[in-house]
Amino acid sequence: MTTYLIRRLLTLVPVLAVVVTVVFLLIHLIPGDPVSVMLGPDATPAQIEATRRALGLDRPLHEQLFKFYARILRGDLGQSYFLDRPVVTALLERAEPTLVLTLSALFVAVVIGVPSGIIAAAYQGSLWDRALMLMSLLGVCVPGFWLSLNFIYFFAVRLGWLPAAGYASILSDPLSALRYMVLPAVSLGFNQSALIARISRSCMLEALQQDYIRTARAKGVSQRSVMWVHAFRNALVPVVTVIGITMAILIGGAVVTEIVFNIPGLGRLIISAVLRRDYPVVQGVILVTATAYVLINLGVDVLYVFIDPRIRYG
Amino acid sequence: MALTLYRSAVLLALASVALLGFGVVTADAQKKGGTLKVGILGEPPSLDVHWTTATITETLGNHIYEGLYTLDATNRPIPMLAESHTVSKDSLVYTFKLRQGVKFHNGKEMTSDDVVPSLARWGKQSVYGKALFAQVSEWKALDKYTVEMKLKERSAIVLISLAVPNNFGAIYPKEIAEKFAPEVKATEFVGTGPFKLAEWKPDQYIRMVRFEEYKARNEKPNGFGGGKTAYVDEIRWQPVPEVATRVAQVETGELDFADDLNLDAYERLKKNANLHPIVAKGNSWLIAVLNKKEGLMTSQKLRQAWQAAIDIEPIMKNVAGGHSEFYRMDSSLIMAETAAWHTKLAGLPWNERNRDKAKKLLQEAGYKKEPVRFMTTQEYKWMYDFALLTKQQLEDAGFVIDLQVVDWATLVKRRNNSKEYDAFTTGIGAIYDPAHVNFLTASWPGWTTDEDIAKLQADMARETDPKKRMAMWEQQTRQVYEKVPIIRYGDLAGLRAARNTTKGFDEKMGRVRFVNVWVEK
Repeated sequence: MTTYLIRRLLTLVPVLAVVVTVVFLLIHLIPGDPVSVMLGPDATPAQIEATRRALGLDRPLHEQLFKFYARILRGDLGQSYFLDRPVVTALLERAEPTLVLTLSALFVAVVIGVPSGIIAAAYQGSLWDRALMLMSLLGVCVPGFWLSLNFIYFFAVRLGWLPAAGYASILSDPLSALRYMVLPAVSLGFNQSALIARISRSCMLEALQQDYIRTARAKGVSQRSVMWVHAFRNALVPVVTVIGITMAILIGGAVVTEIVFNIPGLGRLIISAVLRRDYPVVQGVILVTATAYVLINLGVDVLYVFIDPRIRYG
Repeated sequence: MALTLYRSAVLLALASVALLGFGVVTADAQKKGGTLKVGILGEPPSLDVHWTTATITETLGNHIYEGLYTLDATNRPIPMLAESHTVSKDSLVYTFKLRQGVKFHNGKEMTSDDVVPSLARWGKQSVYGKALFAQVSEWKALDKYTVEMKLKERSAIVLISLAVPNNFGAIYPKEIAEKFAPEVKATEFVGTGPFKLAEWKPDQYIRMVRFEEYKARNEKPNGFGGGKTAYVDEIRWQPVPEVATRVAQVETGELDFADDLNLDAYERLKKNANLHPIVAKGNSWLIAVLNKKEGLMTSQKLRQAWQAAIDIEPIMKNVAGGHSEFYRMDSSLIMAETAAWHTKLAGLPWNERNRDKAKKLLQEAGYKKEPVRFMTTQEYKWMYDFALLTKQQLEDAGFVIDLQVVDWATLVKRRNNSKEYDAFTTGIGAIYDPAHVNFLTASWPGWTTDEDIAKLQADMARETDPKKRMAMWEQQTRQVYEKVPIIRYGDLAGLRAARNTTKGFDEKMGRVRFVNVWVEK
């Protein structure tokens, strides 16, 4: 297991090397320029050129790329053009909101998705099954931003139950944090619960048709025990895989939610950075996100061992 | 008769008491305290107002900093940090007396030691500073409270350049003005304004608190100048990039004021009894800037054909979401809010809606259906809308338009490269003097290099007689409509919303200012 983990972690290096190079080239090759955005609409080309020189953006691309590599090896992600602070500081400031949002949404997705899938499978073909699957179909179809805006309109503007947007740190003010997080977590989690519900249902249906289930029932094992101990445990591996994928999707999906609910997380940071062409920030966020994706996948693989004793890594 | 007189006297007395009482109530209503939460479009690139022309920096910066001059309610220059000025008989030497006892937010007194390096820095970086300092031969302190500006030639733009609110001549402490080179953005923000920067958490809020030692002028509030009072303890500027969220937050009361709203929210905001929408007149006018350096639009006849073909009113109506209060049909190159330079010229070839004339001009230009690369962006809905409608109208007249929709960062980069486009969309905000019209210069994208236009611009910068200047400006306006370096569409108002608890906001000034504003909660 340890050897496996080391091997997997080592594969992270080439993956990240490719990611940072591709991202560097892409963001520099697309049109647009941070200086033109920063200096505003009335700046003259001469002003723009002077500031480009001051930021080192007039240097050849390969020179900038090598400087970027050298900085990364020193653990330095550079300085944001816009935010007047190191990229690492900006990332650390934004990590908490994204982490809290992603985990809350994942919680919502799992709490809605897994029981829905199990209930639908247990009562296959019933009204319950149809209703839950219709709901999950809606979850897949409804765009996240539309759902978010409607949540804001009904629960904040019309009913006044919850704040429309904003963020409070869970560390300094947990109650406010909860109030701010309900709408974004539900709107982001609802979309993803649909996928989890559908996968849970099909995996449960497959497990329920196995011989050992028939045997258990023949032995007089209770329905509850059949469902949770025998069927669910065996259906869990693909469900955990989907939850892992969902976690990764949520990090990406959080971009829209963070914009709509004005949450100062990594998603909002990267959108702003792309629009402003704040190259160091874009590169930094992508590097961190790519690392998170790889680590989540690794975490899911490790979890299999605990869920299914038949799985072994050499 | 006596009874009538008696009754009139009583009524008059009662009315006086009522008026006095109302006056007292109004005065009492201006109370100190509270936090004003303001939703803005996004994060400023910096709070260094010398360094950037970004409107958001202008809005925030004008609460922190002050210049020697500012603008009154009619957009004319009035003293701010200057006490007065004198001009030599030959008009080549301006001597400015500074106000005494004005403190910076760091507690230090503002003197000529700060004014000289601040404006020297501004003169090397700012659009307006550069224009002014091109005419300056010497800039120095005479004593602690007196500075002198010697000019190479007579200038009409000294005071107005010192007064413009955008990219303005803010006075920084000497240490900051000298520490940061003009092309490098300052990262320390200390001014003399009624609010001082307390905290800046990017993408969360910028917190400004009342500067208790602020020394206000004695005059009544007047435009951006006069007596300024910071009633609220704190202004919390909150960047909320999603416009629908800004609308929702002002509706719920999470924001006291929301700026830059989409016009389609107007009806919804009007129905809310707890707030009122503000139609920000004089926000900008829509413009298609034509590339005169290379490509198709170097042909004057082609440019004239574009001008002749378009029917502006339906375009403006559509861009304004059908609300007539949000657009104005006006041909003046400086908007009505700057009354001194607003022209009302008859017979200009503006909004001609003459498709036959356009077709004839296209023929005379030898136009062979080559695609005209017209660049716009969807990041600003109004820009995209007017570009799309223009495309339809121009194609009806015989043009072929290649509408290139890019993001704003790409547009502002590409518009500096003459090979990449023939025309682009943007908005022209408030202009306070004819000499400051950027689209009539050879250095701004679109490159207006016409000798007659350039000569008149240079002459206007030198001519100090207002009547002669106005005649020159009218001549320049006629020349612009003849040579067509740009296409002038209509004026578009902006939409803001304020909670009813936000009091004292000056809706007439085009820009957002929260001095003399208080909250009642």
